[in-house]
Amino acid sequence: MGDTEVKNRKVNRNKNKNEKNKEIPNPAVDPRDEGDGESTPEALPEELTEEPILKKSASPKKSEKKQRKAGSATAGQSLADLPTLAVTCHFNLLPMLLFGVALATRFYALDQPNSIVFDELHYGRYAGLYQKQTFFFDSHPPLGKQLLALAGYLGGFQGDFKFDKIGSSYNASVPVFAMRAVPALTGSLLIPLVYMIMLQLNYSQWTAALAGFLFLFDNALLTQSHYMLMEPIILFFAMSGVLCVLKFRALERSGNAQAHSYSLRWWGWLLSGSIFLTCALCVKYVGVYSYLLGLALVGHDFWEKVLGNLSLTKKQVFGHAVARFFAFFVVPLMVYIGVFYIHLTTLVNAGPHDSAMSSAFQASLEGGLSSIVRGQPLEVVHGSQVTLRHAHGSPCWLHSHAANYPVKYADKRGSSHQQQVTCYVAKDINNWWIVKRPNRTDLAVAAPLDRISHGEEIQLVHGITGRNLNSHNVAAPASPTKQEVSCYVDHNVSMPAQDVWRVEITNREEIGDVWHALESMVRLIHVNTSVALAFSGRMLPDWGHNQHEIVGDVMVNQPNTIFNVEEHRYTRNEDEKDRQLELMTTDFIPLEPVVMGFWEKFFELQIRMLFISNENVQNHMYTSSPWEWLVLTRGIAYWVSPDSNAQIHLLGNIFIWYSATIALAAYCSLLVFYLLRQRRQCFDIHEEAWNQFRTTGEVLLLGYVFHFLPYFFVDHTLFLHHYLPALAFKLLLNAALVEHLYYLTRLVFAKQFFNWMCVLIVLTWMSGILMVFNKFLPLCYGLGPMNATQILDLKLRETWDFIVHKP
Amino acid sequence: MPKAEGSDAPATAASRSTEPKSKKTHRDTAYDSGKTSTGLWWTLFGLILITTAATRFYKLDQPDHICWDETHFGKFGGYYINRTFFFDVHPPLGKMLIGLFGYLDGYNATFAFEKPGDKYEDYPYMGMRAGCAIMGALLVPLSFLTVWEMTFSLPAATFAGVLILLDHGMLTLNRYILLDPPLLFFISASVYTTVKFHNQRHRAFSFPWWFWLSATGAMLVGSVAVKFVGVFVVFLVGFRAIADLWEILGDLSRPVSYTVKHFMARALCLIALPIVLYMGIFYIHLRVLYLSGPGDGYFSSAFQTHLEGNFLHNASTPREVAYGSLLTLKNSITGGGYLHSHMHLYPAGVGAKQQQVTTYSHKDGNNRWFIKKFNKPTPLWNSTDSIELVRNGDLIRLEHRPTRRNLHSHKEPAPVSRKHYQVTGYGENGTGDANDVWRLVIEGGAENEPLETMRHKFKLVHYLQNCVLSTTKKTLPKWGYEQQEVTCNPNLRDAAAVWNVEDNRFPRLPNVSFSAYKLNFFQRFFEAHAVMFSGNAGLKPKDGELTSRPWMWPINLRGQFFSAGEGVKIYLLGNPIIWWSNLVFMAFYLTLLVVKSIRDRRGIISSPHQKALQERALSACGWLYIGWLLHYVPFWGMGRILYFHHYFPALLFSSMMSGVVIDYLVESIPPLLPAGIRNSAYHLLVGGIVSSLIYSFYLFAPLTYGMSNGPSTEANSTMYGMRWLETWEF
Repeated sequence: MGDTEVKNRKVNRNKNKNEKNKEIPNPAVDPRDEGDGESTPEALPEELTEEPILKKSASPKKSEKKQRKAGSATAGQSLADLPTLAVTCHFNLLPMLLFGVALATRFYALDQPNSIVFDELHYGRYAGLYQKQTFFFDSHPPLGKQLLALAGYLGGFQGDFKFDKIGSSYNASVPVFAMRAVPALTGSLLIPLVYMIMLQLNYSQWTAALAGFLFLFDNALLTQSHYMLMEPIILFFAMSGVLCVLKFRALERSGNAQAHSYSLRWWGWLLSGSIFLTCALCVKYVGVYSYLLGLALVGHDFWEKVLGNLSLTKKQVFGHAVARFFAFFVVPLMVYIGVFYIHLTTLVNAGPHDSAMSSAFQASLEGGLSSIVRGQPLEVVHGSQVTLRHAHGSPCWLHSHAANYPVKYADKRGSSHQQQVTCYVAKDINNWWIVKRPNRTDLAVAAPLDRISHGEEIQLVHGITGRNLNSHNVAAPASPTKQEVSCYVDHNVSMPAQDVWRVEITNREEIGDVWHALESMVRLIHVNTSVALAFSGRMLPDWGHNQHEIVGDVMVNQPNTIFNVEEHRYTRNEDEKDRQLELMTTDFIPLEPVVMGFWEKFFELQIRMLFISNENVQNHMYTSSPWEWLVLTRGIAYWVSPDSNAQIHLLGNIFIWYSATIALAAYCSLLVFYLLRQRRQCFDIHEEAWNQFRTTGEVLLLGYVFHFLPYFFVDHTLFLHHYLPALAFKLLLNAALVEHLYYLTRLVFAKQFFNWMCVLIVLTWMSGILMVFNKFLPLCYGLGPMNATQILDLKLRETWDFIVHKP
Repeated sequence: MPKAEGSDAPATAASRSTEPKSKKTHRDTAYDSGKTSTGLWWTLFGLILITTAATRFYKLDQPDHICWDETHFGKFGGYYINRTFFFDVHPPLGKMLIGLFGYLDGYNATFAFEKPGDKYEDYPYMGMRAGCAIMGALLVPLSFLTVWEMTFSLPAATFAGVLILLDHGMLTLNRYILLDPPLLFFISASVYTTVKFHNQRHRAFSFPWWFWLSATGAMLVGSVAVKFVGVFVVFLVGFRAIADLWEILGDLSRPVSYTVKHFMARALCLIALPIVLYMGIFYIHLRVLYLSGPGDGYFSSAFQTHLEGNFLHNASTPREVAYGSLLTLKNSITGGGYLHSHMHLYPAGVGAKQQQVTTYSHKDGNNRWFIKKFNKPTPLWNSTDSIELVRNGDLIRLEHRPTRRNLHSHKEPAPVSRKHYQVTGYGENGTGDANDVWRLVIEGGAENEPLETMRHKFKLVHYLQNCVLSTTKKTLPKWGYEQQEVTCNPNLRDAAAVWNVEDNRFPRLPNVSFSAYKLNFFQRFFEAHAVMFSGNAGLKPKDGELTSRPWMWPINLRGQFFSAGEGVKIYLLGNPIIWWSNLVFMAFYLTLLVVKSIRDRRGIISSPHQKALQERALSACGWLYIGWLLHYVPFWGMGRILYFHHYFPALLFSSMMSGVVIDYLVESIPPLLPAGIRNSAYHLLVGGIVSSLIYSFYLFAPLTYGMSNGPSTEANSTMYGMRWLETWEF
């Protein structure tokens, strides 16, 4: 590039600006001022469309000439001066039409197939548990499931249906239509939403309609919206939030931003934006990426328009900062907590997943722990029979059994050859221990109760084998740096029993000094060596039945040393045989349940949701990696009819997916090209077009990156449906790029002919999309019957694994 | 290396004088006078060099037994000396260097390196230790010089050097036969060369410019070729290069072709040169290790034919497989075993009580199978029937030769993976049922293509159940002799379901030498990488196992025992004063950045002196901070098992950053004080910081040089009262 051209180009843009300022009072209303983009006139009067246009040219000399000519011939250049196809639509017919078709496709045969499709297994079950007010544990937040449950409730669902496996038929008690209507409706609303987003980004209504069209005729979005699944709901909230944030930005960026500040509309868009985005987060945690996008947009505007506006006083800037902080941090927190408040106050009954929670949490549920703790005594005394649960992380109980440590380990170290002590993940008769004072020999509990308090010394007798919990200076089996814990067996090898332990209650500020079942968190300190009884996290090999290792650990102050009494009762019999019989047979004595406040429950649930992931499906057949999503390598089989090959298979409209991927690459290349050129002070496109292009990048490309990139860094099993939020942004970007390319055509070619060519190409593309959509429609609805040939006919890619189980 | 730096010092002094004038004009106060003195520079640098050498080599021969991972890397180094092929998840350069150090010291690779704690006795281990210690010691001068080149501030450079010098973690980690000393060396050398190169920007295309650019490329290769985590510094250098190019592109006084020229130069030195060097390292690796060794089994059959002493070396078999051939089938995934069966049945309760089928990694007569047509009995070797080749898509049966049972599967759950089907040996004298029929599908094979030994990978699809013969690599319990489970997986895309024919016996077909299957260098290069990556991906923590997590590292929560047995105890732990203050300084940097950005945005003007100081600190810290992020954040997303020492590359950056921040603080705090005490405040501040660092080093020194036995709770322990955190395990 020569220097001369650089200068010319630069001059050119300045000249344009000047001329525009001078001569055109800019008749078109800036849609951003309007706040509502739908009524913007989209095309200029006919006479303007025939104007000659600025032509990009290669040689400096030529361009100089051209520009001079262009400058004199036209009254300045602006985007609107370029030839357009003057078709104006005043009735917002387009979005209505699109919405209508969306409703028709989404609600068509909504209650078919009348059996469990894919994850309806989970979501339907959860909706049922809401009807029964039964607690369940899921690693996603509850809003989506609450909506499903609400729809189910309105439809008369009693929660009596047992969701056992994918493919089982629903019976009449399940309001399938009502429950599937939630995703179907939110999935339909997506289409007018994206239409409005595109208008808000300053695209023409045709482009907006194109975006709606892409959403409407993507098979993956249709399939996902047709069953009780979360993605349409999360997409609806995310897109609504983005739209509100964009409307808010329009206010911020309008000429008289000051006047709008703190107006009703200003607050309305700001708050509704943050609330919608938080709702997305409350459906699934991945919604946080949408929230972050909103935050980034609002933060960016704050930086540009408020902080950079030196006419604002410090106080005003501070006020704006506080308002945004309130809207984007305080309000979301309230919404999030509110959703969980409903969750926890609704689900008061004990249910199938209780064991994921702490003992106290379980005991706070109606009928929770009923089989084990109902009415057990509170205070641990001399003679108490207890199970000690390792309180941190995955549950296991202190355990021993009639087997000794091997004399030599595989690595040739020796052991004490005493009885094994382990942490066992299942409830077992061998988990029972009896608390005993070192100086007493009787065990039966009698009045007055001999309570154990903080700091007192005890022994623990294993219920079934009658041996005492012991530790000594021998390396532990799997963690040689730690000390072995055993049940003492006297081998007559000058190894005395060291079986006295001191009780330390870590939460005695709240609970008090007396050892309570369930509530007290205790640490057992070995009196002779000062180590603490600890769960090491390692697994014992075969000789230890692959149970977890228990060690004496010097590091006292760590979560792995904390245990609590979960099951508790008083010893009745003095005779050892009777006691064992008692351990094996008796049921429990009733007592009052634990009361746990909302906040305690909330925080416990948060910690468990964030740190315990129970959804890692190993070896699933239909997993896919983020790279594969770009080219749609694999779908997911959702359902297959028992009597034919009719099936539901999640697959995108391959035509849309491929063009969207190409569009993404094209957008990025163009962006890099423009940036490099601008760095050289060459401005190839109009400023307005550039601004629009840039804003598109800020919202859509950034949105795509936010929703896509994190998947490369997670360790979960991933499926195609994880891609849908990112896909939504990609489809919008695709539509935006089409308009930009159309603009470029107009910029480069003067002739109307090329415009028509453009339109023709787009129309051909759209009809191709329609054809593919139609071809794969049976896979969305599970329409049948289909024979093997029909299915194999759809197998466009070798890697798509449809199910063919009938001829 | 320090010597090379020395010869360059006049150049740095010269470039210093070309620094912005603002710096000099504002150097009006007493407290920073004399800073530009070359004499002082050399004194400090020399002092740091001497101290580094002293700390690094003091008691280097202690403990005289294998510490921690020396057991691996000492052994691997030895393999280069006795030319034995081995497998490790890391690229070879680090181990090659260790081997070289040992070789120079006269080590003949006879020591077994069996397990940590074994005494070295008379074996010369000091060569390897000293080699690693020298590489580790170079970190200190390199950091000093890097920060010097970034800021041209002597205090900043000194503090950066001292922070790395006095950190016990850096010291301990860099004294043993480990990969970390070379890795850290190459990372910090990459940073130094790239900064040095950046400072040559006004002399583009001059000799020093080319020298430092290609040196950067070479050092980058070093980092990556020691451990793959070295790739993060490549990103750092890449970002730096892009930023430079962006600057150059914005210079309108130069034509675009000038930028293109710059781009090409960088592409040459930072992309092409490193690729060539990297391949070269692997070329040497594969050339040097030509003897069969413990790593063979991880590689494909074709790869093994290269290794002298491996039974596949110079062996010969028929090229094609004909019906009636006696085969061994090897699973093609990394470390896959041979399809195996033996005269034992699955125990009751584990599917059908039929003969076990497993994979077994040793060569054994029980790995042999006859291949036969699905509808014909085993043809005899001496029959005169026409030879029929096995072709892609054929229906076959496999008959286990010793027991004469057919490979069989049916709708019973597999012993460990309950969602797969059980695979058994079934039938008698080669007669079975329809569940013995498998379809042979050659990966990427044309229709009816004949199956070839070694070259083809194939799947066996069960004809009736439509599942593939696969191994789950899960170990069977005692009854299965701890061999690995074989199942029929309904997921036809299972990556572990691919097999190849390794041994093929059929007397009626001509034998061809295995050398026909030899791979060229590139195939071996790519296979070695595939194996390393799958090895790395396989390093997952087991269920319930506690592993070190990234959040624990910067706060120095828990260390790592290097030597825990009898005698001296060594514990890898950072100097808490340095580590914790690194965090504080990082927070300070971020605050400063935010405050400065907001002030700039609001148009608030600082004094020019303050502004220059801030800009110097912020621009240096900016790149160092990015370096820290690049070397730390990715670990959060890693599913593999992680260790404390993974943090040390990041620590290099955060320590250098702290050096810059301390410099900023000692330069900007004294001017706030009354003029009379400025000078003394400055010296007090510097002296205080340095002496507290030295004192903390003295306090925790036993961590590195050996602690006495016994818990630190005892008063006579060398570490009495030093267990500041409960989580430190000494």
